[in-house]
Amino acid sequence: MLEHAGPQIFNGLVLGAFYAIVAIGLSLIMNLTGTINMAHGSFMTLAGYLAFTMIARGTNFWFAFVAAPIIAVLVAVIVERTLIRPLYGRDPVYSLLLTFGLSLIAEEVFHVIWGANTLPFAPPASLSGTLALGFMNFPVYRLFIVVVLVLAFAALALFLYYTRFGLRLRAAVQDTEMIAALGTNTQLLYTINFGLGILLAGIAGVLAVGLLGLNPTTGNTLLMPAFVTVIIGGMGSLYGSIVGGILIGLATSLMTLYVPAASEVVIYVLMAIVLTIRPRGLFGEEGLFG
Amino acid sequence: MLVAIVLLALEPFFAPYIKIDVTIVSAALLFAIAAMSANLLLGYTGLPPFGNAAFFGLGAYGCGLSLKYLNVHFITATLFGMLAALLGALIVAPFLVRRRGIYFGLLSIAFGQVFYFIAYRFTSVTGGEDGMSVPRPYLVFSSFTLKETAFYYLSLVVFVISLLAFKLIVQSPFGRTLVAIRQNELRVRYLGLDSNRFVFVAILISAGFAGLSGALSAMLNGFIAPLSLDWHQSGDFVLATILGGSGTVWGPLIGSLIYEIGRDIISTITPYWQIFLGALFVACVLGFPRGILGTILARVGAAPLSNEPEEANWTQSPAIAADHRG
Repeated sequence: MLEHAGPQIFNGLVLGAFYAIVAIGLSLIMNLTGTINMAHGSFMTLAGYLAFTMIARGTNFWFAFVAAPIIAVLVAVIVERTLIRPLYGRDPVYSLLLTFGLSLIAEEVFHVIWGANTLPFAPPASLSGTLALGFMNFPVYRLFIVVVLVLAFAALALFLYYTRFGLRLRAAVQDTEMIAALGTNTQLLYTINFGLGILLAGIAGVLAVGLLGLNPTTGNTLLMPAFVTVIIGGMGSLYGSIVGGILIGLATSLMTLYVPAASEVVIYVLMAIVLTIRPRGLFGEEGLFG
Repeated sequence: MLVAIVLLALEPFFAPYIKIDVTIVSAALLFAIAAMSANLLLGYTGLPPFGNAAFFGLGAYGCGLSLKYLNVHFITATLFGMLAALLGALIVAPFLVRRRGIYFGLLSIAFGQVFYFIAYRFTSVTGGEDGMSVPRPYLVFSSFTLKETAFYYLSLVVFVISLLAFKLIVQSPFGRTLVAIRQNELRVRYLGLDSNRFVFVAILISAGFAGLSGALSAMLNGFIAPLSLDWHQSGDFVLATILGGSGTVWGPLIGSLIYEIGRDIISTITPYWQIFLGALFVACVLGFPRGILGTILARVGAAPLSNEPEEANWTQSPAIAADHRG
């Protein structure tokens, strides 16, 4: 049994990175505007289908890889401006219900356009095959996923902590009224923040296609673990999401190996344990939604 | 109020003319009980309950399993169902009571999913994804099972009792305290009341209603599937509540009737019920957030309990916010 643990740990890390990037996107949107975006998974699936369709029509993989998340962001910006914006400042249950409704519509629309079956998706030749690491063979595509996600985390951290815009974003999370009074266009801030969250989701969505397959619910299956990641990591913490994601990614893939029946429940057990010890999550910050 | 009950009691007689089957109305009545359970938390206490399907499903499985393996009477089975829901709530509530607002919503979704996955994975007992069948209930002799109309009246009686109980609860000092917690929790605490304890009891009561609804729904459908524990189901309960008017006693019934009858009608026309359901969510949230009954009550001046207190309780009272951060 133990000789399988090595690869499973690597798989767990990849899965964890996925959960983390989805969770960060959710967390960005949640912290700034108090919106629990239930349609987050739908935007991931949308990006996945867009990439699939582009590649099926003969587009270069790399072009599709960049273009699909951007199109998803454009759709998200329109949705945010028209549907979600009127709900800012209202009881959070409304935006939750609205995005929930959107995800129901999206799922059915994907169903109608692309069908219910899982679509085959092969990564390009340069990313297929395996890499011999001495003690195990590791698929190149998974390595590619890790590299992309690490780059995305780094870029996001640089953006949030070393640019003026990132500074405004973090300040707005602390006190939106004050930042508005100081002359920042908070509506624009909300829109860009939402787009940023969806950009991360879109990247994850395209990457997930090669890993998890593509059907109308691909994104939604990642949504629930991402919620748990946010809760475990602590709301509002970038690093918390990464640690939380990796933790539950590892837990899931090790459980899949040893106790398959418990592979889904284990993350909730983990969540209950973390909440008992630290009610606001591992890295929960002060001054955010409680 | 009496008019509505009399109309509902006569439904089986004019059902053939308006082409609304009694089974659909039975389902709506039971759905309304689950929506009431969501309403207690959402409309009165001000907490977004997105895990109530877990209690609903526990009620269903508790009832179904006791009917199947213990061969008990259906009333006993219903009580078993409610007991299962209460036990589930006892496990989950300690984690939920300390949280408000979106954090409560998030936690209730996540903890609700645990029960979904247990039902989904515990195939030997629950039948897993395929679900399990539930024998039809009987009143005295096992050969005389309750037919559609009889079950309809059973649902109606249970619904009316639940409604009266719900009314008593929300009008009692306890219910008033829940409303006070929603409006200004800090003040409730300054008055010396342990608000978390009130929320705890509210969650238990809510779970009891949801369990009751689940148990009877299982017998009505003769079938339980794990999907009835999924958070989508919880979302539907919340939708029905808001559609009818959250914070009103009759709102959940109105919302549930529209939901169930609408689904019945639309499903026969097109296979894309889900798109309509999604659109209903969007329209309801953007168009009439106070719900149908809430809007009517506001028009006639009898302002219902608004779901949006002037001061959003958990964001603007720093002491409580700090406390809930743990």
